[in-house]
Amino acid sequence: MTKRLICAAALAAMAGAGAVQAEEIRVLNWQGYGTDLDWAVEAFTEETGHTVVHEYFNSEQEMLTKLRTNPGAYDVVLINAAFTPQAQEEGLIAPIDKEKIENLADVPADMAENQDLNADGELYGVPWTWGLTAYAFNTQAFDEAPTSVEVFWDEAHAGRVSIRDDALEAVQFAAIATGQDINDIQDMEAIEAKLTELMPQIKTYWGSENDWNQFMAAGELDVATYWSGSASRSIASGLPVQFVVPEEGAVGWLDGLSVPESSTKMDAAHAFIDWMIDPEFYVKWAEEGAPASANAKAAEALPEDAFNRQVLGDPEVVARVQFQRPVSDEDREAYLALWQKLKAAQ
Amino acid sequence: MSGAMLARLGKVWLGLILVFLYAPILVMAAMSFNASPYYQLPFEFTVEWYEKLSENRGILRAAARSVGIAMVTTVIATVLGTAASLALFRYEFRGKAVLRVLLFPPIAIPWLITGTAMLVFFFGIGLGRGTPAVIVGHVALALPYVIVVVTARLATFDPTLEEAARVLGAGGWTVTRRVTLPWIAPGIIAGALFAFAISFDQFVVSYFLSEPGDSTLPVVIYTAIRKGFTPEINAVSTLIIVVSMAVMLVAARFSNFGGER
Amino acid sequence: MAGGTAIGGSRAGLIALLSPAYLWLTAAIFLPLSAMLFFSLVTELPFGGAEWAFTLENYRAFFETPTYATLLWKSVRLGLIVTVVCLLVGFPCAYVLAKAIRGRAREALFLLVILPFWSNSLVRIFSWAIVLRGNGVLDLGLNALLPFEVDVSLMFTTHAIVIGLVHSYLPYVILTSYLALQAIDDNLIDAARSMGAGKLTILWRLILPLSLPGLVAGAVLIFVPVVGAFMEPRILGGRVGTYYGTVIEDQFVAVYNWPLGAALSFILLAVVLFILAVASPMLKRAQA
Repeated sequence: MTKRLICAAALAAMAGAGAVQAEEIRVLNWQGYGTDLDWAVEAFTEETGHTVVHEYFNSEQEMLTKLRTNPGAYDVVLINAAFTPQAQEEGLIAPIDKEKIENLADVPADMAENQDLNADGELYGVPWTWGLTAYAFNTQAFDEAPTSVEVFWDEAHAGRVSIRDDALEAVQFAAIATGQDINDIQDMEAIEAKLTELMPQIKTYWGSENDWNQFMAAGELDVATYWSGSASRSIASGLPVQFVVPEEGAVGWLDGLSVPESSTKMDAAHAFIDWMIDPEFYVKWAEEGAPASANAKAAEALPEDAFNRQVLGDPEVVARVQFQRPVSDEDREAYLALWQKLKAAQ
Repeated sequence: MSGAMLARLGKVWLGLILVFLYAPILVMAAMSFNASPYYQLPFEFTVEWYEKLSENRGILRAAARSVGIAMVTTVIATVLGTAASLALFRYEFRGKAVLRVLLFPPIAIPWLITGTAMLVFFFGIGLGRGTPAVIVGHVALALPYVIVVVTARLATFDPTLEEAARVLGAGGWTVTRRVTLPWIAPGIIAGALFAFAISFDQFVVSYFLSEPGDSTLPVVIYTAIRKGFTPEINAVSTLIIVVSMAVMLVAARFSNFGGER
Repeated sequence: MAGGTAIGGSRAGLIALLSPAYLWLTAAIFLPLSAMLFFSLVTELPFGGAEWAFTLENYRAFFETPTYATLLWKSVRLGLIVTVVCLLVGFPCAYVLAKAIRGRAREALFLLVILPFWSNSLVRIFSWAIVLRGNGVLDLGLNALLPFEVDVSLMFTTHAIVIGLVHSYLPYVILTSYLALQAIDDNLIDAARSMGAGKLTILWRLILPLSLPGLVAGAVLIFVPVVGAFMEPRILGGRVGTYYGTVIEDQFVAVYNWPLGAALSFILLAVVLFILAVASPMLKRAQA
């Protein structure tokens, strides 16, 4: 734990003189996504005395429903920046008290002032991790590394391609392939045509990292869309795969940690968030494979050959990335209808 | 074709079907001892996954929860089901046939619909998801089976025995306890074992009624298959199959499964 | 008779014995189904202060988008295929068990056939995933046996889904057929044979009609769950694994559109009940 945090905790203890009691905070996140690492939680409890209990969700919709229907049940929640505006508008999350998060100072301005994480001059989600959704390929299936997204439509790889079963991801993937702005898709017909051509190429959809790993290891796939953080883990575990940010671009996403409006343990919640963006936590997490940290200092602290440094530190790469913005309910329903229609036709 | 040859062909067919039924289970069991985490052959023997299983708190917790839920379900379903069977056996009344038919929905309706309906209803009445909801669901699914099994056993019970006991002055509960229950005990035990198996193996309803991170073993396995798993899942799956089959073997001893001897 | 005759015991006793079970069933099955019906008719779930109103929109969605009807038909077709395969494969097994094997061996074999049925269906599907995948046991096994190269990658095809489902539900039809066949008096068959009837005639005109109720019961026990199946298509089907059941599952678990999910479920329920109604005259004979 950084000295800062110890000082902060000590000061708070002295100033509060008993106001800082050991609290139990509840964290709502994807399962296995950093906040529930045993060693991280133990370190936090040791330093602050607060205990951490986790609850998980399997989709953003589930996360929102849980927030809506369980006031007071959660103290920290992971919200993808594309969803933060919706959560904020519904009054589900509270403004972040920046004073309580020391490490916030090291988060570069472009992230800290991200338009989706801020509203009315207040910060509603602390930038935590970011990454790309691009693709990875099986190095044993290619002589030369592919550089374009068109490899997915290459008949040489028919039946050996995979994407995630997610309407938004599929539509945005096709948007990149048809040269459109993922946040302002004008030509849905082109998207539909592109995806219709893609479907016969797909062997199966992958739903998780290990799914992905299994298929690659079994030699069933040549190329599949993938997340940058997961790619670093798969490579670290020895799979013969390589991550590619294609020339057409990739989808970028930013995850933020927010505090529900109804939480009664805001101090402890802020302390936990501060630990999560702390370089000490991040570097250890990145050893096992993690998305990129929003904390510039944490990113700097990575070893030279770390995946995230190599791939995501390259400004040319980052220039090709289109970051996700919120999607309107209408659009989301349209994408879902399209995706269901395509899947049903198989 | 002669009758003898037909009979032999038939037995060969039966044998093939048995192979079909057991082959994947044996393969899975074999793979649980294979060293490759990605199910690659060649085969390398190891008990590594079983060791890892004994250290995997998440899976062990889910297994314990499954067993616990199954035991509670068994007790409740057996008591309620036996009582209902006794009532249906002893009394004649209008609407009895309707009541009999009402036992079928849990079996006749796809579990997907039952499961989601329970999810929605429990959510509405504030019970939500979680272990109590799962137990309520499991008991409802097991009840018809218990009633069917106990009723079948009751069909072999001579009602005049009860009458005789009553005539001799025994009160209602005494009659039940000392005359009826001992006779139908094998049926009750079989029903209880059915209830246990149904609850322990239940997936669909548990899937909808479980909280993520707080679910039963089959749901954990499904989530693991969908979201990523290690061969420990293989190991625990093999163990589940062995346990379920053992339970059913015992149940078969108590209930007259194979028809007449 | 109103008031009930009892073999001993009072009305109160009847109610005391009967009500707990049926109250439980009411609370756990019938009330939820009614609640589902209610939810299928609203725009939003009436929780957490959301605004909601009655609407037929969810049902209309089914009729307006061909997607759902297509998938419903896909699921019904899957149900029919699996049922027919199970009947064709299972009936001969049941016949052999009931007629050609006697005594201890019969009991033991019957138990062997029924046992997998009582093990966890999810785990059995999972075991098929291991057998059927590329570089899996089936692939390598066949390649070891056959002289030529064969790429058996059945995984993620409709065949895989059918195999998995047949494997799960075969014991149902064997069980019901066996029980029905067992009840056929051997003397009948002997009498027919002594009157000169050929094997085919005996099968067609004697055995099948008499065991039909058992077959129909088995068919129903298979068709109903398969039509609502989602777990097997998801695990074994890959790209082709989208069925009516998976779409309903999505509504409750991923998309969180519960009213639509409820409406789709009820439409499925209507189809299933319709088929059950058509089959029930034959089922009643099975119970007799």
